[in-house]
Amino acid sequence: MPPFHYVCPRDQIRPNQPQTFEIDDRFVVLVEIDQVVHCIEDMCTHDGGTLGNGQLDGACLVCPRHGAKFDVRNGKAVCMPATEDTPSHTVKIDAGKIYVALND
Amino acid sequence: MTTSAMTDKLDSTETFGQPAFDRLLEKRIDPTWLTAKRKEAWEIYQSIDWPNPRDENWMRSDIRGLRLSNFAPNIDESVEIPEGTPVRLLEGVDVSASVRSVNGMVVSESLDEALGAQGVIVGSLSRCARDHSALVERYLHSLISPKSDRFAALQAAMWSDGYFIYVPRNVRVEKPIHLHAAMADGQVDLSHTLIVLESGAEATVLFESSSPNLDAKGLHCGGIELIQHGNSHLRFVNLQDWGKGTWHFAHQRASVGRDAQLQWTVAAMGAKFAQVDQRVELVEPGARSQVNGVLFTQDRQHLVYNTLQHHKAPHCISDFLYKSVLQDRSRTVWRGMIKVSEGAQKTDGYQRNDNLMLSDSARADSIPGLEINADDVRCTHGSTSGRVDEELIFYAQSRGFTRSEAIRMIVTGFFQQIFDRITIQSVREALGAAIARQVRQYE
Repeated sequence: MPPFHYVCPRDQIRPNQPQTFEIDDRFVVLVEIDQVVHCIEDMCTHDGGTLGNGQLDGACLVCPRHGAKFDVRNGKAVCMPATEDTPSHTVKIDAGKIYVALND
Repeated sequence: MTTSAMTDKLDSTETFGQPAFDRLLEKRIDPTWLTAKRKEAWEIYQSIDWPNPRDENWMRSDIRGLRLSNFAPNIDESVEIPEGTPVRLLEGVDVSASVRSVNGMVVSESLDEALGAQGVIVGSLSRCARDHSALVERYLHSLISPKSDRFAALQAAMWSDGYFIYVPRNVRVEKPIHLHAAMADGQVDLSHTLIVLESGAEATVLFESSSPNLDAKGLHCGGIELIQHGNSHLRFVNLQDWGKGTWHFAHQRASVGRDAQLQWTVAAMGAKFAQVDQRVELVEPGARSQVNGVLFTQDRQHLVYNTLQHHKAPHCISDFLYKSVLQDRSRTVWRGMIKVSEGAQKTDGYQRNDNLMLSDSARADSIPGLEINADDVRCTHGSTSGRVDEELIFYAQSRGFTRSEAIRMIVTGFFQQIFDRITIQSVREALGAAIARQVRQYE
């Protein structure tokens, strides 16, 4: 299991409001959906752009460039032009703090 | 995220701000024209924003992780060459001149006396700006505008030192000239390279940059200007082998005159992130340029090459061939453009980018383009991307090779087309050795 990195206090993440963080030289997006915090790589697999400033469509984050969608719960690409999933990372909440383990 | 939010961490008033610039001017002994040029570039640096991620050249680049405050320009005296810094292009080569720098400051320079007597100049750009002021003033930043982007403006204002090579009319420099830039862990290299070949001159320049260890961090923000007058012949080899924690930003330009020939070999192995803007301008009839690019990436390296072959005059030939091998989660972006100006008839332009992926997670973006404003030209481009053929590996294994050996052979074969175009044996061998070192074992 990869190591967990402290990211931010739990109450910094608001429902349906994606936020971008840098962990270990990489950028990730944290999103709260139905009171659960999820974390995916801040990268659209279509053209390598960032997802952090995209809008949420249900549980999917929409890439602001070309409209690809990624399910924030597992990183799955659910809408063209993206065909590959973006990495999904493990979130742990401990004593009101959010920790993330980068899965690959 | 807004543009400013993408790059807000880049701003560093402490290390690359006005006090640092004032201190640089104070410490330097520059001619008046150079100080004025620096001030002009500094004004531009302060007036423009960092590159917009919506710009075509930057939209596949992610520089959010760059913190300028982690670095500081090397204003004070130079230091010794860091122990363990490799020099790869010198093996078996007898050189006519050599210049070495550390953290962008020249620490040693040498030149064959006979060449010096013929008027050849090789040495520190700072020194030459004083000793050969009119010459340097005429050419410095004649091809790279500080307005190109904010990195170019920063470099034009704060360049620390660099290399100047001048070969007078009809002088042939038979043996190669060697330039080596070393950068210690966590340091900055703001060097500039200026090479001028007068009519009928000929030279071979081997330029390499390296760090003392594989993971060394650093910031390189540099410029290369190659200026060739009529009938000159330049072979320029540039091996970038910084540590894997280094940010590399470079503007590289060449101007090729009437019937002059440029062979430019680029090998990029190092750096965590590289953004290179390479342009060759064919400015007079009969100019020829050949650019050979070898990119070999691993881990999470991200190398971006934007190339332009600009035909400004008729009857010119340009030939760009870039080949990339990618492993792990690395990424390359090659965006090539052939531009033919109005009236540049009988242009022959070619560009090609081939990518070989050694892992499923690597990514290569290849974007060739043409912009043609003349109606009697031949311009062709092509691009290929693919995985290593498992059948080839199987065949090699059936002949007794290990999988790693098989992949190494395939990679070497992939680059062979470029090796065949490189006429300097030491360069072929150095690149071959560097590639062999990088190939990982894949199951």
